[in-house]
Amino acid sequence: MQLGFTRFIKLLLQNLFIQTSWSFTTLQGMGFLANILSGAREDKKELILNNHKGFFNTHPYMSAYIVGAVTRLYDEGKKSPDEIKHFIAIAQTSLASSGDLLFWETIRPSLLIIAVILSLKFGLWGIFGFIIPYNILHLYHRITGILDGYRLGPDIIYLLNSARFKKVQQVFEIVGAIAAGLLILLVQWKNNSLILIPLIPLFISMFIYRLPATFYTISIILIVIIFALL
Amino acid sequence: MNPVLMSFLGGLFILDKYAIGEFGLSQPIIAGTILGAIFGEPKTGIMLGAVIQLIFLGGLPIGRDIPPDAQGAGIVGVGTYLFLKNLNPQDSSLFLAIVLALTAALAGGAMEIYTRRLNEKLYHQFLRKKAHLYLFHYLGLGTAYIRGFILFFAYFIFARYFIIPGQFLKLNPQLLLIIGIGAGIANGCYLFIKKRTLIFFIVGGLCSLALLVL
Repeated sequence: MQLGFTRFIKLLLQNLFIQTSWSFTTLQGMGFLANILSGAREDKKELILNNHKGFFNTHPYMSAYIVGAVTRLYDEGKKSPDEIKHFIAIAQTSLASSGDLLFWETIRPSLLIIAVILSLKFGLWGIFGFIIPYNILHLYHRITGILDGYRLGPDIIYLLNSARFKKVQQVFEIVGAIAAGLLILLVQWKNNSLILIPLIPLFISMFIYRLPATFYTISIILIVIIFALL
Repeated sequence: MNPVLMSFLGGLFILDKYAIGEFGLSQPIIAGTILGAIFGEPKTGIMLGAVIQLIFLGGLPIGRDIPPDAQGAGIVGVGTYLFLKNLNPQDSSLFLAIVLALTAALAGGAMEIYTRRLNEKLYHQFLRKKAHLYLFHYLGLGTAYIRGFILFFAYFIFARYFIIPGQFLKLNPQLLLIIGIGAGIANGCYLFIKKRTLIFFIVGGLCSLALLVL
């Protein structure tokens, strides 16, 4: 069974818009429906439209795996819509936590620290230290997500144990740790630089105690005001 | 440079936050640098973008949680500074720009809630007219863009005409960078430091110190 180039491109392009109509009721629901319809066979469209109008939420890049697998399941026509919905319910949760951990908590912040260091040290071109590697990885998951999803169908969730998730996460945790240490390089050491020493534990304690983001933001405003008064 | 053009560009950047692709172009260090370069101040864009990026490095958009709008803050920070410094001293412009950026992070987060409620209405419209799925889905681009435009225009129009009083607070760029580095290291420690990665953080720190000495 073949996906075909035209259908693959339609699914990929539509996948870039999966969060466009993000709402509290269905989160990415409308985006997911639009995505699977974009690559569905004409005779299946009505069935899909009537069965996938509700809630959907996963990591946006990882959604490609589910889109590919669901397209395969409708092409085969062996599973009922309820069985497909059951697969989606399981897969979206597993891929959401893997994607959040891999991209939001590891790859993105580690590469952003690198971009900050490169930009402050070398100027304008430093931003490519983020844009290029991040989007290679991001688009790799979108592209292979659709292709592997279509190839493997519901077995796609077993890919979560593969190197593309586990190894890459471990590598970027190391990259992030080194980059966080390298931030010290940006300090221009003068007397007032010593103020950095109490600031770091103060911020870390806010994160450890999981204080609300609003509290954190207001605290930074107060710190800025105190620094301006010094 | 005028507030409408800057807000128009800011609105385009903010679409990358979640409405199109999420290529990371709306991140403060990226959008700040590009906006700074477009308006002839790349160094300012990099510095403010870097500080706001480091402050909000750990703001994770997980599930229904809406963190402060770091992307909006980056654009507001760079944009307001560029407008403010036309009529005001640089140090007090910097102070006001960073405070405005941080308030924009909070305001942007609150506005995102309204955007999602508007998108809910689009969803209910779709349920009534199923044939128009793509129309109602892509109208989400409009709600995301308008949210960004309104947020930026309000801040930029204020910054364009505001005259800072003579005895207003002033902020040294170096001190601002210290706050950013402090928040960045704290965020980095929180996100990356585990038993097996601690050694790499220490290696990074020692490399920094060695490079500083050299």
